[in-house]
Amino acid sequence: MNKPIRIALTKGRLEKDTVGLLEKLGFDCTAVREKGRKLILPVPDGNLEVVLAKANDVITYVEHGVCDMGVVGKDTIMEMKGKFYELVDLGFGKCKFALATKKGYDFYSGYGIKTIATKYPNVSRSFFEKKGMDTEIIKIEGSVELAPLLELADGIVDIVETGTTLKENGLEVIEDVAPISARLIANTVSLKMRQAEIEGLINLIEENL
Amino acid sequence: MRNYDLITPEGTKDLLFGECTIRRNIENTLLELFKKRGYSEMITPGLEFFDVFNLNSQYFPQENLYKLTDNKGRLLVMRPDSTMPIARVVATRLREADLPLKLCYNQTVYRTEPALKGRSDEIVQTGIELIGSQQKMADLEVISTAVDSLRAFGMEFSIELGHIGVFKELVSRLEATDKEKEKIRKLIENKNFPALNDFLDTFGNSPVTNALKKLPALFGGEEVFEKADELIADDNVSALLEELREIYTDISEICGNDGTITVDLGLVNKTDYYTGLIIKGYLQGHGEEVISGGRYDKLISEFGYDVPAVGFAVNVNGIEKVIIKNGVFPANQEIDAIVYAEQGFEVAALKAAQALREQGLVVENALFDDLESVREYAIEKKIARVVVVDSENGEVTE
Repeated sequence: MNKPIRIALTKGRLEKDTVGLLEKLGFDCTAVREKGRKLILPVPDGNLEVVLAKANDVITYVEHGVCDMGVVGKDTIMEMKGKFYELVDLGFGKCKFALATKKGYDFYSGYGIKTIATKYPNVSRSFFEKKGMDTEIIKIEGSVELAPLLELADGIVDIVETGTTLKENGLEVIEDVAPISARLIANTVSLKMRQAEIEGLINLIEENL
Repeated sequence: MRNYDLITPEGTKDLLFGECTIRRNIENTLLELFKKRGYSEMITPGLEFFDVFNLNSQYFPQENLYKLTDNKGRLLVMRPDSTMPIARVVATRLREADLPLKLCYNQTVYRTEPALKGRSDEIVQTGIELIGSQQKMADLEVISTAVDSLRAFGMEFSIELGHIGVFKELVSRLEATDKEKEKIRKLIENKNFPALNDFLDTFGNSPVTNALKKLPALFGGEEVFEKADELIADDNVSALLEELREIYTDISEICGNDGTITVDLGLVNKTDYYTGLIIKGYLQGHGEEVISGGRYDKLISEFGYDVPAVGFAVNVNGIEKVIIKNGVFPANQEIDAIVYAEQGFEVAALKAAQALREQGLVVENALFDDLESVREYAIEKKIARVVVVDSENGEVTE
């Protein structure tokens, strides 16, 4: 038998959704469900190997070809970029990038350069570049909602799911930046060198979405 | 300030011993293969004027170039590519030369890569350029050289062919701005089916949009051409496909295709100066292409000499990585003998060592003060023979 196809999953919710999908396709994912602290897990009947990693690392491993495929959010893809094939929109893990400000704040008024706090500087930069708008971008690691409240920033660009955190902190979405969902990506060489296996798996996935 | 005196810049590294042997073996294997096919080697400067790479079509974004200035304040770059300097030479010093020209090279290129990605900023490329022929024969010659290049290393490989004309022809039928066309190209390059479908839907439903949607899926073997024919009913595109199909069939026959030669009609990379045929090469176990090339009929005319060309470059670092990963590590140089001189007999010892070398042995001169250290050293380095010179011509062997 060939070396198994290695697929990197983003730990957490996307991992659970993907395992659910694989089980729906009829693969035995017991090892992944009972993983303990293991990070590389076999899916024997599918000749698959699941690797659990942080979102950014999924892209890194796939780019280098040490994992053949990966499941990662569009948010990470937009922020990281990189060279790989983005093959399927898996439809789960849905949310969006949005621009939010303090409630009632008129973001687009005045001549002053606006300051944006975000965990996603590349996404923010390209969003405002498209508008031809100069902005100052500040990278924040934790709760971005704090920045406008503490008056460090005029607005934030962040992932919004339900909007509850924003509401509870007196913020509101003033513009959507981009929709987000989970994507199936593949290494550019793996797709070519193992075309039959990978295409077979993709067809199976697409039929079951 | 001496903060960086013990390390090398990110994206560079020192190669030692076995690693060097591997690299030189790859370079020599390829150069020898090219020369046996009648290619002549050339070397271009490591430093070039920025202008050479700043043509109308900017193939290399300036942020990816290593820049410096000369003593007149003019902007120089560390060459990011060998094909463009060679195009410059062809358009100038080789302008009067008889065509076709068959050139090969083995040199380092420099590009800034994103930090902390494990990429190399310094890459050795060994490649060929066949200048002055538009014939199919020239394409076949270059592709079969590419096949031989990867086959030479005895690892599982694949050579993939494409034709940029198919995409260019299709997208020209679309009523789209340059910006929109660039977006379509990028989505096809990334095989981003969901986004490509959504974006093309905004241009309505036509045979052209349908063909563009399917383009990134058209990769694999012979069957790709049948699928493409069903999909694309357009005389210009069909002519290009027929051209590629003939090349594919011929090259499969020449090189014996056991699935190692494939096609991808979705190869539409941006930084390419390619105008027609595209060649990529892959090795099992390496996540990026190790061969990149194609036909560039318009590039040399940007230097003022209108002549067609086709070529490819092998990424030596890539092959090196796979060889090391596969554990085929060459042994360090074997030493046959070490010659030790007793005090006062140094000249005789050097002469004796030279005489042994002339017999074809690899011989070291011992640099220790006493014989005991020499013996320990010989055991450590697995040197079979210790020669002691203690008279004008006497020697002791063990």
